[in-house]
Amino acid sequence: MDLNAQYFSFEELCNATQTPSQTIIEIINYGIVEPEGSGPETWLFNTQMISVTKKACRLHRDLEIDWSGIALAISLLEELDQLRDENQRLRNRLKRFFDE
Amino acid sequence: MDFQDYYKILSVAPDADSKTIKTAYRKLARKYHPDVSAQSEAEEKFKQISEAYDVLKDPQKRAQYDELREYGAQSHDGSRRQYSQSSSKQNDFSDFFSSIFGDPRRAGHGGFSREGFSHKGFSQDGFANKGQDIETDLPIFLEDTLTNTSKTISYSLPQRHARGGVRNINKTLNVKIPAGVADGERIRLKGQGGQGTGGAPRGDLYLRIRMVPHPLFDVEAHNLIITVPLAPWEAALGTSLEVPTLSGKIKLTIPANSQTGQRLRIKGKGLVRKDGRGDLYALLKVVMPASVSEETKKHWQKLAASAAFDPKMEWRK
Repeated sequence: MDLNAQYFSFEELCNATQTPSQTIIEIINYGIVEPEGSGPETWLFNTQMISVTKKACRLHRDLEIDWSGIALAISLLEELDQLRDENQRLRNRLKRFFDE
Repeated sequence: MDFQDYYKILSVAPDADSKTIKTAYRKLARKYHPDVSAQSEAEEKFKQISEAYDVLKDPQKRAQYDELREYGAQSHDGSRRQYSQSSSKQNDFSDFFSSIFGDPRRAGHGGFSREGFSHKGFSQDGFANKGQDIETDLPIFLEDTLTNTSKTISYSLPQRHARGGVRNINKTLNVKIPAGVADGERIRLKGQGGQGTGGAPRGDLYLRIRMVPHPLFDVEAHNLIITVPLAPWEAALGTSLEVPTLSGKIKLTIPANSQTGQRLRIKGKGLVRKDGRGDLYALLKVVMPASVSEETKKHWQKLAASAAFDPKMEWRK
């Protein structure tokens, strides 16, 4: 399997996430997932987008958040993740300069 | 099997009305949803909360539960009730729940949520359900990302038995990891997840790349940073030394009058990325010796007397 080319069509995304196509179109309309291509026939998704789609569906279902709320929540969660990672990296680098 | 106090789990009084219960559930669900919370026990907590809500929001189930709760409060031996032991740990509901309300998976309520930690994911079609997706972390050393490598991974997979019931089995797979993978990236292995039902395909396996912190190198995007300790005289006079890289050592010239915090770029010795290779930065750190001999001390004293250097200039600006 060529893992470098893990791209999925719209149909494959629906199957992989077990999500109705209408829901996925909704997720795309809100910019939660931004595939390459101009429409369902040409859309290409990567593995990251599968994860985001699944996460969006879980939040929608479990927390009863509407799609625009999910768009906001996911981008804030991503930012939080990045900041946590960055914070950890900077802490590690600081440790090389200071004794605890 | 432990008795589950659903009221306690939701932090509501036993006589709480349905609105209070709903509010309590929503608040806790937001806090402990595994997609939101970074706490390690969040998933387990969320399962408990969902299970509690599943029972307490339904008047019929709640009445049934209340009766049992009262009954259980009088005697704790629990032996009178024949709990059907389910060994399934993949089941979203606790054994306690299944013993009262049955195992929703076997009782034909339709499939379970595909994600393992939600209760509201009952499918509408009833029987044909894609198997469970499994997501697991894959720790990778920085050295491994330079070229295509393969890794043996092992993970646990729920397996249904002919006689019913689910047990976890350990599965081992050999996975090819492409060069240049980055922290947080996911690799999907189609059909390596849990079994489907009713002829539906197996779930998938998602590997989340986790970069193992390196004892020497720090990562900054596709660049690497190595901290180079220098003696004060090395920093002052300059020197030539060998610096470790991810693949072998490389010669580096430290110019005279170098400073702590200064970065020297070693081109093309960083991480591999699709858009080319990053650089390695040597980050200089001037270190004082822990103790000095009498002779060294004299040298420092001579220097102190003659050098016109005031590092605290900035304070007087």
